[in-house]
Amino acid sequence: MASLTLPKHSIPSLLPTQTVSPRHSLFSHNLPIVSNSSQSQFYGLKVSYSSSLSIPSSSSVKGSIFAKVNKGTAPPSFTLKDQDGRNVSLSKFKGKPVVVYFYPADETPGCTKQACAFRDSYEKFKKAGAQVVGISGDDPSSHKAFAKKYRLPFTLLSDEGNKVRKDWGVPSDLFGTLPGRQTYVLDKNGVVQLIYNNQFQPEKHIDETLKLLQSL
Amino acid sequence: MITSPPNRHILNDPSLRSTCAHRAWLACGCTTVVISLAKAIMGAAKSYIWLGPILAGLVGYILADLMSGVYHWVIDNYGSASTPIFGDQIDAFQGHHEQPWAITRRQFANNLHALARAVTFTVLPMDLVVNDPIFHAFVAVWSGCLLFSQQFHAWAHTTKSRLPPLVIALQDMGLLVSRSQHAGHHIPPYNNNYCIVSGVWNEFLNKRQIFKALEMILFYKLGVRPRSWSEPSSS
Repeated sequence: MASLTLPKHSIPSLLPTQTVSPRHSLFSHNLPIVSNSSQSQFYGLKVSYSSSLSIPSSSSVKGSIFAKVNKGTAPPSFTLKDQDGRNVSLSKFKGKPVVVYFYPADETPGCTKQACAFRDSYEKFKKAGAQVVGISGDDPSSHKAFAKKYRLPFTLLSDEGNKVRKDWGVPSDLFGTLPGRQTYVLDKNGVVQLIYNNQFQPEKHIDETLKLLQSL
Repeated sequence: MITSPPNRHILNDPSLRSTCAHRAWLACGCTTVVISLAKAIMGAAKSYIWLGPILAGLVGYILADLMSGVYHWVIDNYGSASTPIFGDQIDAFQGHHEQPWAITRRQFANNLHALARAVTFTVLPMDLVVNDPIFHAFVAVWSGCLLFSQQFHAWAHTTKSRLPPLVIALQDMGLLVSRSQHAGHHIPPYNNNYCIVSGVWNEFLNKRQIFKALEMILFYKLGVRPRSWSEPSSS
């Protein structure tokens, strides 16, 4: 049976226009358990929305709703297929910093910009000793074509069914209609040191993550 | 993606001329708008209440600009020449990107008849059934702006030297979509500045990337790609 425990700072500090209003409770009978750092920044409008809000309150809900990733925590492990169909686990990246970026879909303008920006700055990431991993709900063949077309030198993983996205609590945009664009930087111990969210300025993910990596 | 002949229009192209049918539809559309406006004015005069109708008219003017943008975005990005009902318009909008000058060569009724037809079907029932002056003030301004939006659009493509001073003044004041603002739409991939009445919504829609968000949602939910994603980008 699912039960909800709220951390102390459970009321998110939203922009003045956004409060935990009755309208929100129409979508969920629970308070959104979203921390400041993972608020979705749809440009000009912060929408704090965890994808876990769409899970009904039946007793079949599994415990993964609570595996919410915050700064300073180690995210839950996963094993996903890469663009070549090989299984890749998060633990493979331990020992080096890793940038894990969740994006909506291959072959969309924002995601293409973001992937190409990571590609173009890849040497800087390598210099900082970091690896880059992109995750979306597309299948391996879509990732393979996307990576080939844009000559992406890093791993793309298929989170089919968006299970890892939900496990990590990546917030959705636009009232749950669009998968959020959120990037995590994990240090060499696998602990999250940065969470950056920005749906419509994808190149900023590269700037922000590099800034953090250079200080690690 | 529509493929089209390299030169859709030539100067003095017959397809740019107004026909009797075009003129008939334009007359019908204008008549329904004028009736609505008359009902608004007569109702306001009778009741001595002008503020409500004036505000309603303002709302109509602002909403018309937004709707022109939404419609323009849909027609520019989705469907094709073979889409039922809208296919001809979709094709015409693509042709307009290829030959933006052609709209300035279209005769008046030719340019406006499709909108006039839509306005006739929409506004006539309202004229027949409703008498409220505030309602009609909104409808008259809203439908009038939409009907004439293609003319405002044509003026936004016309060189300054060929425009009446009043039109230039209205464009400079931001009351009609300006030449420079609309030129922003005609840069590949043609994905911004969609509004063509006053253009008052363009800055907000561009800055908030409203249409890009809608495109992402439609792609994610329905797998439909907008045409602007396939256009070469200038950036």
